[in-house]
Amino acid sequence: MIKKIKASTFEKILFIFLIFLLIFSFSFVFIIKNKCLFVENIDLKKINFNNPNNIVVMNVECGNVIIELLPEISPNSVKRFKYFIKEGSYNGSSFYRVVKDTLVQAGDLEFGNIENINYYKVGSGQSKFGSLNSELSENYQFIEGTVALARGDEFNTEDSEFFIILKNIPLYTGEYTPVGKVIYGLDALKKIKAGNKSEYVLRPDYINYFNLLK
Amino acid sequence: MRLLLILLLTLQVNSLKADEIFNLLKIPNLEVYNLDNNKGLKYLSSKQNFNIGVKNNIKCEKVNKANLNKKFLIVKKNLEKYDEKFLKKINLRFVVLCENLFISEINTAGIPDYKKRTLILDINFDQKYFERVIHHEVFHLIYDSFKEIFDDKTWSAFNKKSFKYEDCSTCSDRLGLDLFGITDGFVTEYSKSIPSEDMAEVFSFLIFDRISIDKKIKKDLILLNKVNYIKSGLDKINNL
Repeated sequence: MIKKIKASTFEKILFIFLIFLLIFSFSFVFIIKNKCLFVENIDLKKINFNNPNNIVVMNVECGNVIIELLPEISPNSVKRFKYFIKEGSYNGSSFYRVVKDTLVQAGDLEFGNIENINYYKVGSGQSKFGSLNSELSENYQFIEGTVALARGDEFNTEDSEFFIILKNIPLYTGEYTPVGKVIYGLDALKKIKAGNKSEYVLRPDYINYFNLLK
Repeated sequence: MRLLLILLLTLQVNSLKADEIFNLLKIPNLEVYNLDNNKGLKYLSSKQNFNIGVKNNIKCEKVNKANLNKKFLIVKKNLEKYDEKFLKKINLRFVVLCENLFISEINTAGIPDYKKRTLILDINFDQKYFERVIHHEVFHLIYDSFKEIFDDKTWSAFNKKSFKYEDCSTCSDRLGLDLFGITDGFVTEYSKSIPSEDMAEVFSFLIFDRISIDKKIKKDLILLNKVNYIKSGLDKINNL
């Protein structure tokens, strides 16, 4: 005859603890791992824009990023930036360079598209138009969300690449050409994948599409 | 192949280096110290030791905050002698303050880089000369930005025919920075190294100790010619 053993209080508590641990683990894997979970989805239809001609919408993994362009500060740069957006040149462009909580960079049209990214050359690509002159402003403050054209070590080397800063960087005022400012969706940019050991990202996140609002 | 790629990307840029200042200046371990001045200058300081340059031959150490606060005022006071337009023309935008600056194991007061628009200054440099050498280093930016105005051959021709400069600025151990009692064409021992250092020494005295240099040129024709050459070059830059 098998004697029935009754679980002690300690064993019951341990059992309950294990159940909780299991539930927590599942939650972590399926819910918390979803990096976009707490990012607000921006519904364009609910927003009224003062100047819709200067609004562009970038869609990334965690949603829409809405950018207001600054043609009054950098007319030539904005003109080119808008041209690339209108042509769909930035669709699939990878955020190959990400400095965590500081900036994300994309826009290498030659080597940075996710379809055929070239890890050896990304960041050195050029568009068919060549370099632009820098359009700097000592008065424009590089606050969180500023979109600016990337350049080489020297001025007047801007082309298609751009970066967006994720924090205020007053040092950049007068150093880079500002072309726009994120007015909604900065949280989506903050979720863009950064490299573990390097500012260059392996298998980077990318722009799904980048459109003019109008 | 993929493994090699991952390794390369991992090693390419150390994550410690990847911040917004490194992005701009390619000098690691800096932080903003002061951006609020009417000359458009941006002062940065070293929060940790850093190594840069070919084979990391340039090294400088983390600043002590109390020392930095004191020396910053001296640096600022001296750089305020130049107007904003002039600083822009000579490509001076960033001033990096650090301690114990060495280039190839030789202690130096400063390292100018006109392409990066940066002047690195050692705030621990011998206090006897510290203020004057700030202007010495500023001249190197002027010289590098306007080589067509400050010509080595023209400058060398002011000297006695028997005199010959060294092959490089550190090719001899004659590095003295004290003003000579009898100048005989040269303000300091270090002036005798190479033409650009000679020009920088004359310029630094013109800016920092005008009275002494004015006395010297009354009795020294070579020095008078050199002073006039520097002044005429500066006029050309101002008129650009």
